[in-house]
Amino acid sequence: MEGNVEERVIERDFGELALNMGPQHPSTHGVFRLKLHLRGETVVSVVPDIGYLHRGVEKLSETLDYDMLPPIYERDDYLSPTANSLAFVLAVEKLADKEPTKRANYLRVLTAELQRVSSHLVAIGTFGLDLGGSMGGGATLFLYCFRDREKVLDLMESLTGTRFHTNMNQIGGVRYDVYPNFDKDVLKLKDYLEKQVNEYRTVLETNPIFLERTRDVGIVTPELAKEVGASGPVLRATGVSYDIRKNKPYSSYEDFDFNLPVGTRGDVFDRYLVRIMEISESLSIVTQVIEGLPEGPINSRKPLKSALLLKPPKGAEAYAAVESPRGELGMYVLSDGSSKPYRLKIRSPSFSNIALIPEILPGHLIADAVAILGSLDPVFGDVDR
Amino acid sequence: MPKKVSKIRLIQAIIFSLWVTFKNLFRKPVTVQYPLEKRPIPDRWRAGTFALTTDKETGDENCIGCKLCERICPSDIIIVELEKHSGRGWAKTFILDLQACIQCELCVQVCPTDAIVMLRGLATPVANRQDYILDKEKLMENEKLFEAAWAAGLKLQKLHEPKQTEVKS
Amino acid sequence: MIYIQGLVQSAILLGAILGIVAYLTWLERKFSGRLQSRVGPYLVGRPHGWLQPIADGLKLISKEDITPSRADRLLFNLAPAWIVVVSLLGFAFLPLTANWVLVNMDLGLLYFTAIGSLLVIGVFAAGWASNNKYALLSSLRSAAQIVAYEVPLLLSLLVPAILAGSLDFKDIIEAQESYWFITFPVIGQISFLIFLLAALAESNKMPFDLSEAESELIAGFNIEYSGMKFAYFYLGEYAHLMAVSLLVSIVFFGGPLGPLLPGGLWIAIKTLAVFLGILWIRWSFLRIRIDQLMMLNWKILTPISFINLLLAGLWVSLNL
Repeated sequence: MEGNVEERVIERDFGELALNMGPQHPSTHGVFRLKLHLRGETVVSVVPDIGYLHRGVEKLSETLDYDMLPPIYERDDYLSPTANSLAFVLAVEKLADKEPTKRANYLRVLTAELQRVSSHLVAIGTFGLDLGGSMGGGATLFLYCFRDREKVLDLMESLTGTRFHTNMNQIGGVRYDVYPNFDKDVLKLKDYLEKQVNEYRTVLETNPIFLERTRDVGIVTPELAKEVGASGPVLRATGVSYDIRKNKPYSSYEDFDFNLPVGTRGDVFDRYLVRIMEISESLSIVTQVIEGLPEGPINSRKPLKSALLLKPPKGAEAYAAVESPRGELGMYVLSDGSSKPYRLKIRSPSFSNIALIPEILPGHLIADAVAILGSLDPVFGDVDR
Repeated sequence: MPKKVSKIRLIQAIIFSLWVTFKNLFRKPVTVQYPLEKRPIPDRWRAGTFALTTDKETGDENCIGCKLCERICPSDIIIVELEKHSGRGWAKTFILDLQACIQCELCVQVCPTDAIVMLRGLATPVANRQDYILDKEKLMENEKLFEAAWAAGLKLQKLHEPKQTEVKS
Repeated sequence: MIYIQGLVQSAILLGAILGIVAYLTWLERKFSGRLQSRVGPYLVGRPHGWLQPIADGLKLISKEDITPSRADRLLFNLAPAWIVVVSLLGFAFLPLTANWVLVNMDLGLLYFTAIGSLLVIGVFAAGWASNNKYALLSSLRSAAQIVAYEVPLLLSLLVPAILAGSLDFKDIIEAQESYWFITFPVIGQISFLIFLLAALAESNKMPFDLSEAESELIAGFNIEYSGMKFAYFYLGEYAHLMAVSLLVSIVFFGGPLGPLLPGGLWIAIKTLAVFLGILWIRWSFLRIRIDQLMMLNWKILTPISFINLLLAGLWVSLNL
């Protein structure tokens, strides 16, 4: 018997276990299917399968007028509706050469940043569910985050009338102006949220279980992130300081002073950290908006009377990208001179981000696979469109 | 390698986690037990149902059957039929299918006579799907059920009016 | 005659335990609700949801009982019964007041731990018989976990036994007349903590609920169960948890000993306190990974509990 012990162990191969995770699974964040091949509990290979939530938004938009479309796009990435309609509205404004007013820009920033807070709170809360299950500490973190998010939604409700699909953006401006005493409500919310966020950070970032579960898990290198086109917190966690709000300011973002939280290792913990630090940054932007809100009209076009009036020139095309909570959300619009877009393409951040999954998942345990998926924070309304 | 957390910090962290949950044990729950207690509905509420308004003085309906709301509705749920008599337009039929409504308030925004408004109240649950297809009678009745929300066509249009000086500069 | 008396006594005990367990689920839901800024059960039996366990029971009874077509029918149906029986058997040896115990036994402590470790068979059978990959993974995890944590569990329980000089619960209680074993410097606290962690791991509670890991394995070994069979798992889990709390209160907190109040009440109060403590831990921490779980056991808990046991033995032998 020349063969040593180790070799014999390797020869005892029990084969791979093909495990179908999803589309109905508690922690795939929507309808997402992962075809996993396991050796023991270790993932050997993975094939992601998407398309379960395809709603044909791009085709639908060819049948509707420009002014009717922003409410439709709010349904696209259903955790940060405002970012979607903002991207569309910016693209159409480029297309039709309509400049929104300064006040409208500020109010757009306000809603976008508030929704970034709410979206990141959801991301952290559901990340807790992934790590802790619904029958334990994870559910506690989840419900705390949702309790705080509720306050943001309440504020949105009193500002725009609905909690979630705010419809704040319209082509040429915004639909709702702030109400009296709005600034007091915002500042109260900011103080409350900052206190809560600090508490979560103290609890999570020293908690040994959380650190053990997230550190050095699912490492994404900057090269890999750039290769697959990842953006948003996933890219910034790898150490690349790229944010459209800074690098290509839109909608008056150049007026505000904020930092970009950047990770160092690109692991699950860094992605969490970037998100929770962005909450504080967003809150600081919101206060700057409230302090520097310029007077003036909120709309630069004539009041909306008929959807037929906006007709961009034939053959005009425009691409506008915004930094949604998940990354670079771009809309490309092509006009044929009528009141409807000829073609519309959405570059969705979640779609590019989940392209990382087959690259980083193999080699991890199945428990880590869930953590990694949660840290990428995909929204499948956004992936499948 | 990750930064090693010292043993004392570790025990501190465990106790702090327990302390945070313990603190919440004595907080007032944030749950609102819906049918028993109700959240205050804000002024700008637009997640409820619709109404067709009538003129306060003459008692005539405000709707002139101009079909602007039918045209702008993104989910195509409004059907208006126009008839003309006594010097103005009237809506012969006005059907709104609440099941597919996405509460975008565009119909309210374009209305030139403040005829269609959203109401500050929840849409009453119904047992039969047919009951969510609101015809003209139901929409007129709805006006009496709840008070109207903040937004109305003329108000929003005035809000969106760009002042001439502002636009030029 | 003595058989009839025994039968009646055990029937009463069984009924009491089942009733208490039902209300423990209510307590947990209420407690976790408040912990998470929620209200918990509310509408059934307003305003505190007193009737919620009964409503739950009725719902579970009226649900369809499904057996997967490729499942091993015998094992599939046997596993829930096994879990319930085993977890209820533990109560037979635990004294409920200073001098009342259903089966008085010299080796009560040993017997209790032996019975407790039989749970793994039920869990493994359930996972294996379900013919489901998630259930299989879960039962494998569970078997590894429970068998591994048996070591520190038993070692840490031996410390009070050594201090009392007996494995009989009555002697252990009597030995705590002057001081409770939890107050014994260093050794007492360490063995208490290790026992608590190991017991959490053995009864599949957070942060060690790997076999139920719902975010990874959906529901683990009970994924294919529905209706009353699922309820049996729940029942067994909570009965076991209650037995563990009772054991902790007896072995470390002096059981029925305490001023003024009668012994039965003291033991109830202590058991409830331990139960709530376990719930508090459960709803405050995230789950750890399987390799970290094993690492914690073999590299930390087992060596420490060995040293602890050695210290306890040294102390006793030097002092006697």
